[in-house]
Amino acid sequence: MSEQFEQGVAVLRDQIDARISSYLSSCVHCGICAEACLFYTETNDPRYTPIHKVEPLKKLWQVENTFWGKLGKSLGLIKPLTESDFADWEQLVYDSCTLCGRCSMVCPVGNDITYMIRKIREGFSVAGYAPDGMKEATKRALTIGSPMGVTFKTVQAALAHVEKDTGLKIPIDQQNAEYMTLFSSMEIVNFPEYIESIAKIFDAAGVSWTISSQAFEATNSGIQIGNKEAAAELVGRVVKAAESLGVKYVVSPECGHAYTAIRWEGPNLIGRPYDFEVVHILELLDKLKAEGRIKLEGKDDTPMTLHDPCQIVRRGGVVDPPRNLLHSVADHFTEMTDHGVMNWCCGGGGGVSANERAEELRIKSFDRKKHQLEELGVNTMVTACANCRIILEEGLEHHEMDTEVISLTELLAEHLVSGKTPN
Amino acid sequence: MIGEFIDGPLWYFSLTAFVIGVVWRIVSIVRAGVRPDLSIARGSAGRGAMRAIFSRFVPERTVTTSSRLQLIAGYMFHVGLLILLFFAQPHIDFIAERITGLSWPAVPHWVFIVAAEFSFAGLILLWLHRVLNPVTRLLSDMDDHIGSILVFLVMLTGCLALAQSHEALRLIHLFLAEVFLIYFPFSKLMHAFTFVMSRGYTGATMGRKGVNA
Amino acid sequence: MSMPATDKTASQRLSVFGLCLLAVCLLLFSPLVDAEEKSARELPGVKVFNPAAELWRDVRQREAPVSGKTQVGGVETGVLINATGDRWRQFRMDELIPVGGYVIGAIIVLLLIFYMVRGRVPIEGGASDRKLPRYTTYERMVHWFIASVFLFLAITGLILLFGRPMLIPLFGKEGFSIIASACKEGHNLMGPLFLLALVMVFFQFVRRNIYQKGDLTWLLRGGGIIGKKHVPSNFFNMGEKTMFWLLVFVGSLIGISGLVLVFPVLGLGREFMALAHVGHAIGALLMIAVIIGHIYIGTVGMEGAIEGMKTGYCDLNWAKEHHDLWATKAIDQGEAMSNEAVASLNGEKTSTAPPGATIQGAGK
Repeated sequence: MSEQFEQGVAVLRDQIDARISSYLSSCVHCGICAEACLFYTETNDPRYTPIHKVEPLKKLWQVENTFWGKLGKSLGLIKPLTESDFADWEQLVYDSCTLCGRCSMVCPVGNDITYMIRKIREGFSVAGYAPDGMKEATKRALTIGSPMGVTFKTVQAALAHVEKDTGLKIPIDQQNAEYMTLFSSMEIVNFPEYIESIAKIFDAAGVSWTISSQAFEATNSGIQIGNKEAAAELVGRVVKAAESLGVKYVVSPECGHAYTAIRWEGPNLIGRPYDFEVVHILELLDKLKAEGRIKLEGKDDTPMTLHDPCQIVRRGGVVDPPRNLLHSVADHFTEMTDHGVMNWCCGGGGGVSANERAEELRIKSFDRKKHQLEELGVNTMVTACANCRIILEEGLEHHEMDTEVISLTELLAEHLVSGKTPN
Repeated sequence: MIGEFIDGPLWYFSLTAFVIGVVWRIVSIVRAGVRPDLSIARGSAGRGAMRAIFSRFVPERTVTTSSRLQLIAGYMFHVGLLILLFFAQPHIDFIAERITGLSWPAVPHWVFIVAAEFSFAGLILLWLHRVLNPVTRLLSDMDDHIGSILVFLVMLTGCLALAQSHEALRLIHLFLAEVFLIYFPFSKLMHAFTFVMSRGYTGATMGRKGVNA
Repeated sequence: MSMPATDKTASQRLSVFGLCLLAVCLLLFSPLVDAEEKSARELPGVKVFNPAAELWRDVRQREAPVSGKTQVGGVETGVLINATGDRWRQFRMDELIPVGGYVIGAIIVLLLIFYMVRGRVPIEGGASDRKLPRYTTYERMVHWFIASVFLFLAITGLILLFGRPMLIPLFGKEGFSIIASACKEGHNLMGPLFLLALVMVFFQFVRRNIYQKGDLTWLLRGGGIIGKKHVPSNFFNMGEKTMFWLLVFVGSLIGISGLVLVFPVLGLGREFMALAHVGHAIGALLMIAVIIGHIYIGTVGMEGAIEGMKTGYCDLNWAKEHHDLWATKAIDQGEAMSNEAVASLNGEKTSTAPPGATIQGAGK
């Protein structure tokens, strides 16, 4: 048994708190969570049942915390957790779970299964059982500053473009600005329109904002791979930058897990509350609109629907802002049958999009979204997560569907009444 | 002699084992502790917890079609069991005599019988689902089967003793109930108590985030 | 004549007279005793008025229908003694129990002989590497639900019927009274579940059990049991369909007559109850005989027959051999799956293989 594996088990043991103990005590193996998981519903493979994915954690808990487990172990009837358990479960834990949290919403005894899968990844990553794609992304994030290898130079180049296109000056490292804005690498590389949009909106609303040269990256590979140290390091960079700039708010971009990382997990990772608050861009836009600081004009006739990014809506609690905002610019906004906190994941969250090995399965699981779209018959899907956007576009392309995916922030920017509001 | 043992010492032993065991299990879960959440709450954790404890009695729409039979059988079994456990005249009499000294009104005999019918149908169907559905078959372990079978046997011997005319039948029922009580704290049967905790923990986390879970 | 002599003679005469008197008395009364004994055995030519006999006759109401008056409300409360009850009792003791016992015993013996002659019917082409989905989880649940309830009711019912001759010698009267009480309560409580299960089975399987073209051929060729050739059939063959309808009709009869017996409050008279009991018992014995055959085929009689009901999938070769018409259609519709895909859908695959590798062909 390798030392690394031992460390992994030790970390896993460390995860078992009152929550997980109560969850494992309560689970009666009813299997209802399977029906909430798109990896199960699209394949009917019972091994994709969410609670089955935490089997190694359950085994450890049983052997060390329950009467029968202890008895069985001392009599040699139950084998303790072995390295092959980790090897066997690696793909279930990483490839077939996007941490979307849907299973946690349907469990009759109220188990937060997603939380357990998030925690089991802590042990797996330390033991070295994680997909190469995610390991490399985490390494890049730690060494270069972005999982996609984006450096601040790349950001500057993108910002130069934005400045040219909009004629606006993008503030960098502005001391005592009110808002410090983060981006995901995906936005910098694939969707610079997003940066353009918020530049326009912030300008129109007269928001005092800045970008930090020290911490522009919002995504957190440490959260996805499940490595507390890496995650804390990445959050720490943002906190350090924000606190040295003396900003009041940090704005989480249109990226799902970035929000969960910085808003909900961050303070617990670094072990202290922040000196600033974290808002999601949609929360901020909703607030600005409510305060009358941004004015929107014209409504789109195109039928639209909203794809809720799991980490922002179900796991993040930003449920109403995207709806309020979309209603203000779209005349024909219809919801999919399962929406809001019960939406279906795009299939690429929780690091699955960074995991090449999982691609076949991810494409298969996209059938759920495809089915939802066909049922609704709407060809324009608005979302608020760069990762969702890429994954959705890939899936649509795979099925040769002519559905357009647009960013909510960008859509709002298009309807912005230009010019500063008198304020 | 064996009858006196079942009716006397064993009953008190099993009841004690049950109470101490359940309390010990709950205390050991709570003692594992939860790290304080340092993020700024959007909503109330307490309200979220209370909400989830009750809201999870109603299944989410997304699983109601695919798991319909399981849900119906689940309700039949649990509600039926609750009625026959606590509101059947013989049980009330027994509890009043042996434990609390208090009694409360029982349901009419026919309600008791109907509850038993529902409970049996529910339990049998749930167990069949457990062994026939690929998902539950994969998940289930010995504990699940022992628990189901024990409950079934307690219920069955109870119904065999319905005539209340043979002491032997009553003692068999009582003996199995005692085995059940002793097994309870060591098993998944604990979910009868811990479901409140797991729903509460999840509800609190989600409540802080402002999500109705 | 001397006085003492006279005295002696007088006393002797007295005794003789006494004896004679006694004899006369006996002679005088003896025909009367005889006559009374006779009248008890066969009706006398001349009716002698006897208030006790009249009362007894009225109580039994042998010839006339119920005629009594009573303050007690309820069904047949005016009847003091049910004359037909004895007819029912005699039928149960002298005919139902022995004949029923022989029938059940004969079925078992016949199946044993059949097994020795025919052996286990194998899948001729051997197990293939592909399977066809045959029953959904729900269908299997319903099947095993009715199966478990039926078995419980059959066992408790048989104990109630045959317990007296068969179990009293084993457990004694005291022991059997406990067993009988338990079986009666269990049988009554579980009974209604059989009706519930029957309704579920009916709706789930009725469409596939409607008789179709080709079913008769199957019957005429003995279902392939006789001889070695397999006879084509649909999803269910004629035998299975017939069993289904037997279950539906006889099962309903058993269930409803059972309800009549459990709820004597329905306003039905004793004769009806006796009839319900006879119907219940004969129907149940018939179904038990049929189900023993059903279990025989599923367990030892035929290779691969129980697989579909256990796992939900049946072997492709088995399907072709026994349900050819259905199998051909299912294969045309692309329902056939590799054994690995089935194992994966049943969660039996080893988890080292990459997940999602066998997801094609997945379907509910």
